[in-house]
Amino acid sequence: MALLQISEPGQTTAPHQHKLAVGIDLGTTNSLVASLKSGLAETLADTQGQHLLPSVVQFQAKDEIGYKTIVGQQAQDNAANDPLNTISSVKRYMGRGLEDIKKHSIYHFVSEEGSAVPRIRTVAGDVSAVEVSAEILKTLKQRAIESLGGELIGAVITVPAYFDDAQRQATKDAAKFAGLPVLRLINEPTAAAVAYGLDSGSEGIHVVYDLGGGTFDISILKLTKGVFEVLSTAGDSALGGDDLDHTIVDWMLAKTGIIEPDASLLRVLLDKARAAKEALTEQDTTLIQIHLDEKLHSQSDKQNSWQYELSREQFEQLIQPLIKKTLVPCRRALRDAHISVDEIQDVVLVGGSTRVPLVRQIVGDFFATQPLADIDPDKVVAIGAARQADVLAGNKSDEDMLLLDVTPLSLGLETMGGLAEKVIHRNTTIPVARAQDFTTFKDGQTAMAIHVVQGERELISDCRSLARFELRGIPPMVAGAARIRVTFQIDADGLLSVSAKEETSGVQSSIQVKPSYGLSDGEIETMLKDSFSHAQDDLDARKLREEQVEAKRVVEALLAALEEDGENLLSAQEQHTIQQAIDELSEIAEGSKQRAIKLKIEEVDKITAEFAQRRMDASINKALAGQRVNDLHT
Amino acid sequence: MHTLEQQYPENYFSLLGLPISFDIDKNLLIKNYHEIQKSIHPDNFANAGDRERRLSVQKAAQINDALNSLKNPLPRAIYLLSLFAIELSENKHVAPEFLMEQMELREALSQVNDKADPFAELDVLINDVNTRIKHSISQLSRLFECLLATESESKQDNIQQEQLELITVEVVKMQYLNRLQEECLNKEEDLAKQY
Repeated sequence: MALLQISEPGQTTAPHQHKLAVGIDLGTTNSLVASLKSGLAETLADTQGQHLLPSVVQFQAKDEIGYKTIVGQQAQDNAANDPLNTISSVKRYMGRGLEDIKKHSIYHFVSEEGSAVPRIRTVAGDVSAVEVSAEILKTLKQRAIESLGGELIGAVITVPAYFDDAQRQATKDAAKFAGLPVLRLINEPTAAAVAYGLDSGSEGIHVVYDLGGGTFDISILKLTKGVFEVLSTAGDSALGGDDLDHTIVDWMLAKTGIIEPDASLLRVLLDKARAAKEALTEQDTTLIQIHLDEKLHSQSDKQNSWQYELSREQFEQLIQPLIKKTLVPCRRALRDAHISVDEIQDVVLVGGSTRVPLVRQIVGDFFATQPLADIDPDKVVAIGAARQADVLAGNKSDEDMLLLDVTPLSLGLETMGGLAEKVIHRNTTIPVARAQDFTTFKDGQTAMAIHVVQGERELISDCRSLARFELRGIPPMVAGAARIRVTFQIDADGLLSVSAKEETSGVQSSIQVKPSYGLSDGEIETMLKDSFSHAQDDLDARKLREEQVEAKRVVEALLAALEEDGENLLSAQEQHTIQQAIDELSEIAEGSKQRAIKLKIEEVDKITAEFAQRRMDASINKALAGQRVNDLHT
Repeated sequence: MHTLEQQYPENYFSLLGLPISFDIDKNLLIKNYHEIQKSIHPDNFANAGDRERRLSVQKAAQINDALNSLKNPLPRAIYLLSLFAIELSENKHVAPEFLMEQMELREALSQVNDKADPFAELDVLINDVNTRIKHSISQLSRLFECLLATESESKQDNIQQEQLELITVEVVKMQYLNRLQEECLNKEEDLAKQY
């Protein structure tokens, strides 16, 4: 029996208006934003009708108004004339240390005192990859606001499945700089599977082969009744279309005899290479013409123009080793998923680089099936992300869809002798929490250094350093008597957090996190303050607004929870207490005291803790209820 | 005497709606797991308060842990042993002959590179390891069936201890084999990168 729900005067009924949320594909070469429009997920165009935003940011010198950046096509067009201030393929530098990124880079990287994050020297100052990415996100955010006609409650941002913790954290930090709430980071292949899965509704095993501009991912998913379960994922976070371009550039350099091209020339050659690669998708041959202008002439004293014909066959010979390289992760993913090729229902192609005919051929041969590319491989990830954003925003659709994703890399700890001890294995479904016990090895030891690594190898030196933690405040005891339980948690965004507790004394040890390749909280704070597009007032106003949004979210969530379960799970007194707290929070959130709102939210959080716990237990019982009823009959 | 179910009402098997046993109905396991995740996964709480969000991450992690402990034979065996308060420590339980064999297998693995057809050689090795793992699984299935059958009847402590000892040895063996399998796969990847 349906009862009419009557809300109290002055309160909103359950928020039924469509909340604006977007999916963003923050790509190496191009970025996109998509949203659900009357039930259909589609990518949003700019005022010129362009959907793809080239992931290129040009930094300009400071004038009286402040720093200025140009993002997108125009920046791309300016790249050859201003190569050092125009940053492209910045995704390759996210969450990376200096030594990882030096090769193939034309930019001038500098490391800053007290920071683990390398900066690119530009005319606007030194900028980190996070800030460059933030500029792209800001542009997309603005495009979405204009296109959808309202503020966004948040975004789902996609990352390569094979991104490690530092790369994911860097992506989330970029969103923070862009003032864009992140509803969830999801993996690109998973997003693509959502876009396909919901359209075809096909149950079974699906492979997503995602070769983008700078990254390669392979994911194997099982789709059962609206549940997208990732069985395994593998890849190479430094292999993509960019590498195909570089291969062509190397070939051109060998042909022309130019030995050390400068940044401008390299930029020109890269553009030529990309154009040639794209032309060879349709044509059998393409003409590459290189003209060096006066400025560039010094590069070679003999000649200033060249002309070569590149055939598809030659091109395929050049790139074949790179494409074959992608089959190694494919094999690993199949093994990890315990799946053989004949069990696979279909293979979906994602990413612009899968347009290359040789890629389609090699993938088709390996999986013994004609790969699918029904949805534009450039747009499919953003479209899937938009669907998930809509679900997360609470715009419940009829399908009840659930994504169960995995962590791509094993998480380990350094033990004696430089060996890595795995705590969480790769392809474990997230969220996941694991505890590990440690003890002291010296009498009276009060601190302990813990080194967290990500990777599959036995030797620490072959794994990627993730973070170093220092546990302090361990009560002095004899060696081996302390029992320190360190809990590692990977949340639904794939991000790691760590907490520690000394068990015998119950002392909660303080923990100091030093991300090996990340921005520290302090750095983020300072950078936000110094940020070229935010004055201090701006920052305060933004903090207040964010706190108000959070308060509103808490109020709405609690009202919905009360409506749903208040009668069943709470006494009249408890209901009254919670209702009162909600009213107080609503009132304070109207004001302009950010700190007061924050404190009130924390207070409400404490008051409703028990209610939250009861709700969670009740839903587990309900989920298994059908099963329990069946048990009675047996 | 209490049964395991009575002793541990919150065990992973009951959390996922299964009876305590080494042989499991994997379809039922997955079905129940999906139902629970549909109701508590953090994606359902993206708009909820901070507390509920954190709680759902914890619960979802617990359910995932339960699934991971039960889905595959080795972790399932280790989890079952933990219900009998047995923590594994290596070396102690295993026969020297077994360790000898392991060393030989590892040696063979390290020499794969020098062979004329390293891939074929590696395949032979991987198949060998897989066969050994399968054998271990069937042993464990038999041993656990005995153990849990006597467990539910009147307990005879010395018999139970003997069975637990046999199981522990088998589980430690399987740990070695799984690690070797992993090393084989790493090797295959190295070889593939070299060609």
